[in-house]
Amino acid sequence: MRARPLLLEQTLAVSQRLLLEQWRQRRGLIFWAVFPAAMMVLFGLVYAHNDSMRAGLDAAAAGILMGGALFFSCLGGTVAIIAAERERRTLRRLLASPLHPAAYFLGVVSAQLLLAAVQVVMLYAIATFIGARYHGSLWLGGFILLLSVFSYVGMGFFLGARFARRSEEVVVALSAIGVPLLVLGGTFFPLEIMPTAMQRVAQLDPVLHMNQAFKGVAAYGLGVGELRFELSFLVMFCALSLALGVSSYRQLLVLDQRA
Amino acid sequence: MTAALRIDGLHKRFGSRAVLDGFSLEVARGEVMGLLGPNGCGKSTVLNIVCQLLQADAGEVRLMGEPLARLGAAARARVGLCAQDCALYPDLLPEENLNFFGRLHGVPAAQRRARIADLMERFGLGPHAATRVGRLSGGWQQRLHLAVSLVHRPELLVLDEPTAAVDVAARLDLWRLIEGLRDTGTTVLLTSHQLAEAERLCSRVAVMQGGRVAALGTVPELLSRVPGQSVAAVQSRDSALTAHRAQRLGWAVRQRSGQLSCLLPRHFSLREVVDALDGPEVSAVSVRAVALEDAYLELIGDGNGLE
Repeated sequence: MRARPLLLEQTLAVSQRLLLEQWRQRRGLIFWAVFPAAMMVLFGLVYAHNDSMRAGLDAAAAGILMGGALFFSCLGGTVAIIAAERERRTLRRLLASPLHPAAYFLGVVSAQLLLAAVQVVMLYAIATFIGARYHGSLWLGGFILLLSVFSYVGMGFFLGARFARRSEEVVVALSAIGVPLLVLGGTFFPLEIMPTAMQRVAQLDPVLHMNQAFKGVAAYGLGVGELRFELSFLVMFCALSLALGVSSYRQLLVLDQRA
Repeated sequence: MTAALRIDGLHKRFGSRAVLDGFSLEVARGEVMGLLGPNGCGKSTVLNIVCQLLQADAGEVRLMGEPLARLGAAARARVGLCAQDCALYPDLLPEENLNFFGRLHGVPAAQRRARIADLMERFGLGPHAATRVGRLSGGWQQRLHLAVSLVHRPELLVLDEPTAAVDVAARLDLWRLIEGLRDTGTTVLLTSHQLAEAERLCSRVAVMQGGRVAALGTVPELLSRVPGQSVAAVQSRDSALTAHRAQRLGWAVRQRSGQLSCLLPRHFSLREVVDALDGPEVSAVSVRAVALEDAYLELIGDGNGLE
């Protein structure tokens, strides 16, 4: 049997290790499932209960998945992974090994993608039960989810490298930097009701484009042509995320030695 | 034969502080080289540069004759690092930790399986195969930690105070394992604050001071630098008087931690020392052979000689 290329082998090793750890930390896995499920049930029931809001249920379901579930599991999860590597001192060992920074980044992305896929199935099962519908192309929706996970992991690397030296700092970093991104990203309020200046700033927020792209497909059945701007932004942001992730991994060493 | 590791004129500054100031060292293949020195003398900086965790400001490191700068990331696959902190994944089993790091080093699956089985057996980890690493005792974790650094069969093993955080029994166990590695020809660069560890494990010892090697040699060579064959530790109510009496006998005298150490020119019995220093101010005397710690203290100038 031919050996796999080293980059692929390292990516798979990182990814499988993360998933195995996640599986063994059952309590964390329960919270990981309960939090977005509870959000979907609560928001879904509010939307379904009010006649004036029922039309927005499909968009709300897409927003909860993108802004609630994936934000916390993919971005928050990545920040937590970096903080844990630091605390357990495994980071130094990884940096002393021939692990390629891109393989580490892609390993985290692959693990988060699998977890995201489970969350999508779980949340859409709940959303469908409450009455929400998915309207667009499954392939396009999947592609947007892929780009979003990639982007969230890139942001997670950046935040984790700079702001989360210990596990306790994960929540602080997420609250201080992540939550404003969620608000500007239109997760809690539609973009249209924000002040004009805020709307302009929001255009720089990748969460907004993830939300708009996924809501466009899931709630309004839009296609590639109508979502060209959002998709272009996300593809560019993915490339930036990879660069951000790789440079953050390299910088971890420098940042740790300064600490 | 080309040296396993050759370090030439390393310089490293952190801000205004020069940590390494022309550090040079050569480690032969199959040799266990001990790197000793007081805290902050630059031992860890040397190891970090060898493991490519830090870049030197100037100087060159060659691994098996090849410059580290040219080898780049490939050099990391040829070096194994085992530091005092157990860098392991606590939710994984011992074999899973070994397998993970083996994969990162690109060890092919079949070889990996064989090496893991061998390491599990050699390090006595078999009975703990089904226990998550986080539930193992510190000593067993450190054993596994050492095993992990060997899974890719490194050409150079770097041990940074490997027994600093374990109890006495685990330390003796680890020493036996490191002796086993030495006997099979593994090249090791080891730092330690435990001189007994260096004395037992190292073929040669380099003593660092001021960012460079202050002394280098085998343990007997370093011991020969001590002006004495044995040491009498003396507690006295009048240190000055006792020191004066010892010096009149031709003994070199050192004041260490509030106690006098007399370096005796030959092996004296306790009776002989007590009789020679006889006086009401002397309250306790013990005699022992000269050890590496005496050579170390002489070399780093902490002897506070009273000659």
